[in-house]
Amino acid sequence: MPLSRRQLLTAAGAATAPLALAACGGFSTSGREEGSDASGTITFTTWGTDAELTGLRAAITSFQQANSGVTVRLNAVPYDQMFTTIDAQLQAGQAPDVFRVPYYTFGSYAGRGQLLDLSAHLEGGFSDRFTPQAWAAVQNGGKPYGVPHHTDTSVVLYNVDLLEAAGVTDVPTRIEDAWTWQEFEAVAKRLRQNLPDDKWPFAYNWQGNGVTRWLSWLFEADGRFLADDLTTPAIDSDAGRAAVEFTQGFFRDGLVPPNSSVKSSTLAADLWYSGTTAMNFGGAFLVPDATSTADFEWGVTFPPRNARSAGDFGGNALVATKGAKDPALVARFLTHVTEKQQMEEFCAGASLLPTRADLVEQGIEFAVRPELSPVFVAQAGAVLPRDSGQVASPSMSAIITVLKDQLEEAFVGDQDAATTVRNLADGIGAATKQ
Amino acid sequence: MTEALTAYGFLAPSLLLLGTFVFVPLAGAAALSLQRTNGFGDGVWVGFDNYVRLFGDPVFWRATLNTVLFTLVVTPGSMALGLGAAVLLNSVLPARGLFRSVLVLPMAVSGVATALVGVLVFDENSGFANSVLRALGLPAVSWQSGGTAAFVTVVLVTLWWRTGFNMLIYLAGLQGINRELLEAATLDGAGPWQRFRHVVVPMLGPSSFFLVVMNVVYSFQVFDIVFVLTGGGPRNATTVLVTYAYDNGFVVRDQGYAATIGVFLLVVSLAFTWLRWRSSRTRDLVG
Repeated sequence: MPLSRRQLLTAAGAATAPLALAACGGFSTSGREEGSDASGTITFTTWGTDAELTGLRAAITSFQQANSGVTVRLNAVPYDQMFTTIDAQLQAGQAPDVFRVPYYTFGSYAGRGQLLDLSAHLEGGFSDRFTPQAWAAVQNGGKPYGVPHHTDTSVVLYNVDLLEAAGVTDVPTRIEDAWTWQEFEAVAKRLRQNLPDDKWPFAYNWQGNGVTRWLSWLFEADGRFLADDLTTPAIDSDAGRAAVEFTQGFFRDGLVPPNSSVKSSTLAADLWYSGTTAMNFGGAFLVPDATSTADFEWGVTFPPRNARSAGDFGGNALVATKGAKDPALVARFLTHVTEKQQMEEFCAGASLLPTRADLVEQGIEFAVRPELSPVFVAQAGAVLPRDSGQVASPSMSAIITVLKDQLEEAFVGDQDAATTVRNLADGIGAATKQ
Repeated sequence: MTEALTAYGFLAPSLLLLGTFVFVPLAGAAALSLQRTNGFGDGVWVGFDNYVRLFGDPVFWRATLNTVLFTLVVTPGSMALGLGAAVLLNSVLPARGLFRSVLVLPMAVSGVATALVGVLVFDENSGFANSVLRALGLPAVSWQSGGTAAFVTVVLVTLWWRTGFNMLIYLAGLQGINRELLEAATLDGAGPWQRFRHVVVPMLGPSSFFLVVMNVVYSFQVFDIVFVLTGGGPRNATTVLVTYAYDNGFVVRDQGYAATIGVFLLVVSLAFTWLRWRSSRTRDLVG
């Protein structure tokens, strides 16, 4: 996989971000923390873009101001090194107190006894601040093992000129009016007729570990890949077959570039930036990049719906390791960074979506292209807790490999939908037994 | 006795380093290959279960086939290109210093950077290779979505990367050939091809021998080029043993199974070393 734009930015961010942002300090904090006098050090390992690290440092500064004597030591590492480092540190008993983790990787740690059960350390009613789908994404065995720090979900970013040239001028602006699968397919086919052979209607962002984003199609068909017990495979269903068959059609009908399959090293966003595709499925985190990179007019709209609207619950949680030196202090830190003001600052600055119910209700204004924020926020609301809960499975790492292998067979090898979902069910069953 | 102690004294630093960084990790990997693991904590001893699983795993066999095929193509390919370049650059070619530097330059670049350049060249939508083909009125090639074509890109990028090293070794070998031998062959009536075939090539035997070993070892360990250029796809067409071990160890977090693949690679390498040792003795006898 080539270094993606985001990874390069991450590496650059780690190297160049300012060391301290005293000027950004002075946030108000919750009453409980106000003026508290504690001592201790929290070690916190993360990766992040410039904007993300700036937001995190601001939250750390305000936490330290509210808790004199407390130091949070931030260790920013490139994304590529993040989890091999964390895994090795956990094995060696030298893990940081807190680290950042994508929701689809969260279960691998929580389900293997590596994280701190926060139940006893969080104040009563703490979960009420989050949306149900966000809170579901940090549960393991019914207990919270982290806090949902932010989310992100994919929408359709489109090249205005290419769509207009194909006569597509009526683009949905409300989630209730999102294209159905059939309408979306019709739009894509119309684009296919109008575009030259070396350009394509769209690309989907399922490359690499982004393969979990394929699950949005399954959820839109109202399907599941795991039953409620999170161990029994549930993908061998009509919804599973419909999702595979529909997405397989993208390749069969030449609606997506042939090199944009799940194992491709070419990222969907790069295809769109270069004008190779007219539409791109991507998250809010792309907005700053797209603003500075794309030399064409672009807009965003909602992804298609089928039985319902749905989306991937992207983004990251903050988790504490089971060996954290001071669990109570760590819990206070996690509480602080998910306070309204801290989360709002972080999400607005980094073009990410909040997990707090009040911020979702109120809406958020991105620092870049604020007028696009409502589309992302509304789309994030289409993620149901039962969808995000499945992605928190402890077996997700192994399930991701199964998804990659079988979807690659379906997309590139033209393996039929029935065989694909059967193999997916077998593979997921084996993965949850490991 | 004193002599033996002195010998062990001299050997001690190497033994200590080898022990710490080679033998202990090797024993650890072998032990890990007998365990079922899930990423964290102690594994469960399962005897040879991982090996049984390995031999029934179609992706493993595909990775093995790809690795062997890659080795069989890249080893003679990079040696032939290296030899050709060395012969050219050993002659009175103008600006040969510049050409030598250009050929050796990829060696100074990391494998990841080389592969990223490969991505720019072989991107099937906007890459340089397809732009050239289209400009010539030829059909574009599915460098990334076609299995065979993707394998070819890995081979081509590797050849570009490895030719400089092969050339360098051959150049040193060529400069070590006694001019009188070539002169004697010329006086005996040998033409340029005969001189090359019957004097130069045999005299380069030690260089070729060294390069075969290096290229085979390198090819069995290929990782970065494949990982960045194709990610092992499409449909495992470019998956090799080390990328498969990496996927199992660091993506699936099944270190036991990844270690099993590692042990298999070790056994293959040992077998090759044994063959090399055998041929080396024969060479000594003949020489």
